[in-house]
Amino acid sequence: MTSFSEGLEGVGALLRGDTDVWRTGKFGRISRRILPLALAAGLLYGAAMGAYGLRGLQVLYSALKVPVLLGASTALCLPGLAAFLGAIGLGGHMGPILRGIVLSQATVMISLAALAPVIALVYVSTADYAVAKAFNGLMFALASAAGQWTLARHFRPLLAVEPRCRIALVLWLVLYVFVGVQLAWVLRPFIGHPGLPVRFLREDAWGNAYVQVGSVLREILD
Amino acid sequence: MSTLRTFAIEIDRILRGEDGPDEPLPKGQVPVALKVLLVGSAVLGVSYGLAMGLYALLSTKAPDIPWWHGLAQMAATSVKVPLLFLLTVAVTFPSLYVTSALAGSRLRPGATSRLIVRAIAVHLVVLASVGPITAFFTLCTESYSFMKLLNVAVFAFGGFAFLHFLRKSLVGELAVDRASEPKKVVADTDSARLERRVPRPSRAPTFVFHTWCAIYGVVGAQMGWVLRPFVGSPDLPFELFRSRQSYFFENVLDTIRDLLL
Repeated sequence: MTSFSEGLEGVGALLRGDTDVWRTGKFGRISRRILPLALAAGLLYGAAMGAYGLRGLQVLYSALKVPVLLGASTALCLPGLAAFLGAIGLGGHMGPILRGIVLSQATVMISLAALAPVIALVYVSTADYAVAKAFNGLMFALASAAGQWTLARHFRPLLAVEPRCRIALVLWLVLYVFVGVQLAWVLRPFIGHPGLPVRFLREDAWGNAYVQVGSVLREILD
Repeated sequence: MSTLRTFAIEIDRILRGEDGPDEPLPKGQVPVALKVLLVGSAVLGVSYGLAMGLYALLSTKAPDIPWWHGLAQMAATSVKVPLLFLLTVAVTFPSLYVTSALAGSRLRPGATSRLIVRAIAVHLVVLASVGPITAFFTLCTESYSFMKLLNVAVFAFGGFAFLHFLRKSLVGELAVDRASEPKKVVADTDSARLERRVPRPSRAPTFVFHTWCAIYGVVGAQMGWVLRPFVGSPDLPFELFRSRQSYFFENVLDTIRDLLL
């Protein structure tokens, strides 16, 4: 069996929640096959996302940014999460927890790639930038839900053994969303406003998303 | 084996749950010398201090403040973070020891100090591991209020780990204490029956833990306030310590108000 077809088999097992595959001792080999495929899937969705204005450079930038967004958010959050879980006595379950998180991120990227044709259809159907943004938001929400589904499924046997592992589930979500929102803000634009020149990062990229939201809310309330 | 390597192995064992809070410390033994714990904790504290002080280095200063003030603040913060923990332990240790003794614990001063320093090492390892997130937000943020609240949240996050580890360790230690108590053989006299009717101090670990939390939390927060600035306001020149005024909790409420209103 080629590594690609083995990877596809692994992706199928991941999406189906075929836990036997992960218990047969082939996990290392399969995850090595899945992760490059997941990366390719992230690149594919990013390219589709950046194709809004049909500008080659934006396609390239967006293709790079989607895996960077998901990978860097995960890399920033995992050390703190692992240290905290270890400190509260869940260190013995760290392996399955981290594996579940990595596989859920792989699911997010694979789901995004599966939704890439939908985004292409939206772009063909409308030139409205707001609609493009809204649909991309929706695609990310759906892919994130798929990732959570994988994570919850991966956690089910863990929770049966140690109910406190739910803390890991909740904490991961809070940390990941907190960091992910900010990183997405820094890495914008992902779609690329047609009226603005193509850039890898906006000139004012290094702002704080939460402070911006606070300012907007304050303006609305005033 | 070097001190830091020994410390790293110990922290790794704690986080993996191999010698963690679920397993009481071996009685009468010192698994890791206090010095190793203190040196390792200091290194972790310095690493988080650098991440915390990065804001002072990168934030846009008022025009009349020289550039090197940011560098000085960063250096000062990297020293102050481990100092904060060390001084908090120094101030609270006597009262923590007395409280546990009053509650019936037979923890010796050495075991008590080791227990607290291990919990602080856990707090600092959580802080150090969240350091990259703090540094990332520092790169993106000009808002001083946001950075202050983020750091309060990060310290509180580490604090939860600290409290959890401390509670487990304390309960484990006190359980070992209780189990090793010699069984008293008493005659079935009136006074003995009266003694049996007196409730056993089964809630001692919880009582000690809550008292320790209150003492340690309040002293730690106020110690942080006394040692401020840690983040370093971009509108103020560098000072090693600010003038004595107000309290920690009052300032946190003021900062939340500033950010929201």
